[in-house]
Amino acid sequence: MGLSLGVDIGGTFTDFALHDAARGEVFLHKRLTTPEAPGRAVLEGAVALLAEHGVGLEALDVLVHGTTLITNATIERKGAKTGFLVTQGFADVIEIGREQRYDLFDLRLQFPAPLVPRALRRDVAERVLPGGRVERALDEDAVLASAAELVAEGCDALAVGLLHSYAFPAHEQRIGALVRARFPQLAVSLSHEVSPFMREYERWTTTIVNAYTQPLADRYLAALEDGLAQGGFRGRLLVMTASGGTATPDMARRFPVRLIESGPAAGALMSAWLSRRLEGVEDLLSFDMGGTTAKGALVRGQAPLRRFELEVARVHAFKKGSGLPLKIPVLDMIEIGSGGGSIASLDNRGLIAVGPHSAGASPGPACYGLGGQVPTLTDANLVLGHLNPDFFLGGKMALDAGAARVALEARFGGLGLDAARAAWGVYETANEDVARAFRVHAAERGFDYRGCAMVAFGGSGPLCATRIARKLRVPKLVFPAGAGVMSAIGLLVSPLSHELVKSDRVLLEDLDDAGLEARFARLEAEVRAPLREAGVAAPVMQRALDMRYRGQGYEIDVALPAGAGIAELPALFEVAYRRIFNISFPGQGLEIVNWKASASGPPPAAMETLRIITADGGEALKGERQVYQAASNSFRAVPVYNRYALMPGDTLHGPALVEENESTAVLGAGDSAVMDASGNLVVSVGA
Amino acid sequence: MSYDPVEYDPVELGIMWDRVVSIADEVVSALITTSFSTIVRESGDLSCMLFNGDGASLAQGNFSVPSFTGTGPPTLRHMLAKFPPESLEPGDVLITNDPWMGTGHTWDVNVMRPVFRGGRLVAYTLSVTHLPDIGGLGFSTVGTDIYAEGLRLPIQKLLKRGVVNAELMEIILGNVRFPEMVQGDILANIACNEVGGRLLTDFMDEYKLDDLGPLSRAIIERTESAMRAKIALIPDGVYRNAIPVEGIDEPLRLECAVTIRGSDVLIDLEGTTGSVQRAINVPLCYTRAFCNYALKVVTIPDLPNNEGAANPITLTAPPDCVLNALPPRATAGRHVIGHFVAPLIFGALAPALPSQVQADCGMLSQTSMRGTNLAERPVSSLFFAAGGFGALHGQDGRDATPGPSNMIGSPIEIWEDETNITVLHKRLIPDSGGAGEWRGGNGQAIALRNDTGHVLDAACFSSRSEHAAQGYNGGKPGALRETLLNGEHVHPKGRYLMQPGEVLETREAGGGGYGDPSRRARAAVLADIEAGRLTPEGAARDFGVVKGSGT
Repeated sequence: MGLSLGVDIGGTFTDFALHDAARGEVFLHKRLTTPEAPGRAVLEGAVALLAEHGVGLEALDVLVHGTTLITNATIERKGAKTGFLVTQGFADVIEIGREQRYDLFDLRLQFPAPLVPRALRRDVAERVLPGGRVERALDEDAVLASAAELVAEGCDALAVGLLHSYAFPAHEQRIGALVRARFPQLAVSLSHEVSPFMREYERWTTTIVNAYTQPLADRYLAALEDGLAQGGFRGRLLVMTASGGTATPDMARRFPVRLIESGPAAGALMSAWLSRRLEGVEDLLSFDMGGTTAKGALVRGQAPLRRFELEVARVHAFKKGSGLPLKIPVLDMIEIGSGGGSIASLDNRGLIAVGPHSAGASPGPACYGLGGQVPTLTDANLVLGHLNPDFFLGGKMALDAGAARVALEARFGGLGLDAARAAWGVYETANEDVARAFRVHAAERGFDYRGCAMVAFGGSGPLCATRIARKLRVPKLVFPAGAGVMSAIGLLVSPLSHELVKSDRVLLEDLDDAGLEARFARLEAEVRAPLREAGVAAPVMQRALDMRYRGQGYEIDVALPAGAGIAELPALFEVAYRRIFNISFPGQGLEIVNWKASASGPPPAAMETLRIITADGGEALKGERQVYQAASNSFRAVPVYNRYALMPGDTLHGPALVEENESTAVLGAGDSAVMDASGNLVVSVGA
Repeated sequence: MSYDPVEYDPVELGIMWDRVVSIADEVVSALITTSFSTIVRESGDLSCMLFNGDGASLAQGNFSVPSFTGTGPPTLRHMLAKFPPESLEPGDVLITNDPWMGTGHTWDVNVMRPVFRGGRLVAYTLSVTHLPDIGGLGFSTVGTDIYAEGLRLPIQKLLKRGVVNAELMEIILGNVRFPEMVQGDILANIACNEVGGRLLTDFMDEYKLDDLGPLSRAIIERTESAMRAKIALIPDGVYRNAIPVEGIDEPLRLECAVTIRGSDVLIDLEGTTGSVQRAINVPLCYTRAFCNYALKVVTIPDLPNNEGAANPITLTAPPDCVLNALPPRATAGRHVIGHFVAPLIFGALAPALPSQVQADCGMLSQTSMRGTNLAERPVSSLFFAAGGFGALHGQDGRDATPGPSNMIGSPIEIWEDETNITVLHKRLIPDSGGAGEWRGGNGQAIALRNDTGHVLDAACFSSRSEHAAQGYNGGKPGALRETLLNGEHVHPKGRYLMQPGEVLETREAGGGGYGDPSRRARAAVLADIEAGRLTPEGAARDFGVVKGSGT
């Protein structure tokens, strides 16, 4: 395999990473996103970057693509007009939701409206009970009549959700066959295909988002494929999913809901890839902080943790329960409402709070000089001396430190804090918010972060990372090469993969090895099929179960080593349970709730090492800058280095700053950093 | 109490405060995920709290029902009165379910662990959960005194120096219907407090704190002064309200006089009906929790909850009135009456705080189902269903949303799979929300059929079958709740033996509206018709809007 290209479309920029297997090198490119036709920037950028190598699209073997199209369409409600066929008597379930107030004290809390309004939902006369008994047969004529009405109403997509279809899909399958035959132009999503998961509200919501985005995904991929083909591309197109794997365009068209939030997944996957290249690193925290949010992920045993749920389109940006719940395979990401543009405010306690509101790009932080009056995390970093007013975005934008100081003093002067101490308060509050989010997330998963490593990237990640690492007692921190385009590089290491989870509650005592094997065999056949179609003959298979003590309501993920049978399950469960809760209940019966299988092929680019071509020579030491020191509440001169001029083996001692175009790494007193052979800056975090 | 003269600046205080709240949340998370009963995990009927070494509160987990707003500090005081700090050793864990010391009924178990650091008692953690069973008559309103309501555990050491008190455990498990589940839930309480202790000592290590007293004091003072500042904005005066509430044998009346004097709130419940010979009496601790909740919601809804939010409020009530029931009254269903304390207080404050208070909610119904499923395994589950949420100034009430209490609806597929009680339908009821410039939320209709193959014991806990959710400021009341067994109306607080195939149906009450319905925009009424929230007839009757007529 020769040339592979990763292309990640972000809100502002579309990022490119080209891997040349013959030279073992990666070349980067960035250009403005073209929101009206996102595929245009993809094509133009690909052509431009390849041209620098003297080749055209025809020389490209693989193009891996990450897009926010599906996420945005769901958030902005720009999907297709969608109808919903549902078991009679339950059309309001998607509207009622979980009947829970996600905030006990806020009487004015808001909930997301369902994507399908009441007028486009139709009851289906049918009913299947648990165990599969058909209480009421499917009224096929009525199904077709309802579908015809919805089509006449202008629906381009149809979601179908029937009770207990996760285990007994016959009625949904029949509806699918009937409707697809009669209305071939209609995009039809069946709940047992999209997410065979036992919780009707979540499964149906997932299915509706799938249907809602299907026509859009189809049009977009068709246009992209056409454009690439006209440009001479004859390689394979792959699309990134949220699970940290890629899908063929065909799979992406069937299950567009799985593309939601795929950008952050690629970044986390890149962190995991790095953990395999760094000496002595098994577990790590992936930390990505941009302009509006921070994202975290836990990497255990060199693989990112996964789960099967995600909440999107939240009404309250960071309140769990205020969005649409999706049951899809995803990397288990932490989302935190802190980024460079996060606004610092006084909360009702009279204390400093940072985010979740963001000043955005316009007017942006006060120091941008675009009219922003309120202080942000970026303003704090500027006042503390972490940012260079003359070298923001590589010098493309000048920052106004005076404006930042004025904004901080105006807001926090009443607390008796000067601008520097207020800036430190804002900075520390944001750092603590991130550390806390990692702590809670790790505790819920039994992940011991103390002693593991952290990979920090994104525009604001390197500014905060050494403080956060200290708070978490993380001794080793990595600022990777190409931190500004981590997602695009991550696409190149994302394997073609497919995962399924299926609910089938069974007591362990009622199951034998043959039953276990039969259930997995069925699931694995389904999981393997799309990979086989894409030419992957022998994918890597992985089995896992969601298990619990009989009677409990929460399951934990138990990964099965190859060949594990019934006899091994209690011990595997107990280890996993103890890891999370430090307690187990010997003698209690066990039950399996969900069955999970995944298949993955090789990554698109055979990257063994990653040499990113960025060095520009020149002098490593650029000068020095006054940086705030909390311990003494005073400023002190600190050396500033040019990241691009650092050579492998170069060692730096904190306090120090390391500048690159997209960010600045802050090293504190006691930290020391070494540039490794691949261009990563590896920091030993001081006590 | 003595404190070091430590003062935290706003930077330090904010960071440490957020951290202790986060620790309380982690304790809650550990409790939920290790619990065995559906009521804990699905309804959030639990709480966790942290205290400093003097027993002053630090933080309460954010996830909780309102019944536990501020109940923890008094519970801990009762425990320390019986077992003073010097009698506690590392590894000890205390337990009680006394309704008057805990949260109002014997089903709630309170589990407390003293936290030691370097041999010194530095903190306490406390968790509360609703057990699946506690013996006696079982969870229903039919009891006539506390002795019918199962085990009443005086404060005891459940663990002594890390070892489970086997005799006590044997007594508990020998007296309950589902000993496996009960044991699992008690162990979950032990486990979560263990987690809390570990996280608190880690936190103290990290910030080099020897004493949590100054932090606790700063948190309470900040909270209290923020709340007092908001109370001071309410004009001084005495605000009165009285509401009729459905009892079982006789109607009840709840009455309050809320006196605002500067930044103090005095709530007096004089005029409230006396306790009754049914298990719907409310101990004062539970009444106080809902008073605290109502006041917090209208003053400092977004501040973390702790003792500081309770300090400005003084509560008095006539002895043995239904909101201050004394032993040996029966209290199993204290929530059925106790939930009305929130609308009672809102109603009193409505003239003073018209844009903060909420019109009455349709509230929720709870059905306790006990029996045996098709697989011959025991069933003990609660089915919750929410009525409509009350409207606020400027905002419609949401359909099928619980208030003032909270819960999580059980997914139908999980409910049916575990119980074999079939849900025949679950749909919103158009026109059931109270009309208003802002509409009350609609209720929902739910039917449950006994497909277990066995007789099923169904105990209902609900209200608003005679007294609808009232609208405010010209808003109309919501529709009444109905409970039907095989199509016949039955008492909403009754207990019924359902034969196989029998059907229990509830039609949940609507929320009250806010403001005069004639002021509602025509476009909003038409949109409600389009969305199925109003029928065309309902729109004409309640709002005077006829589709297509231009009026």
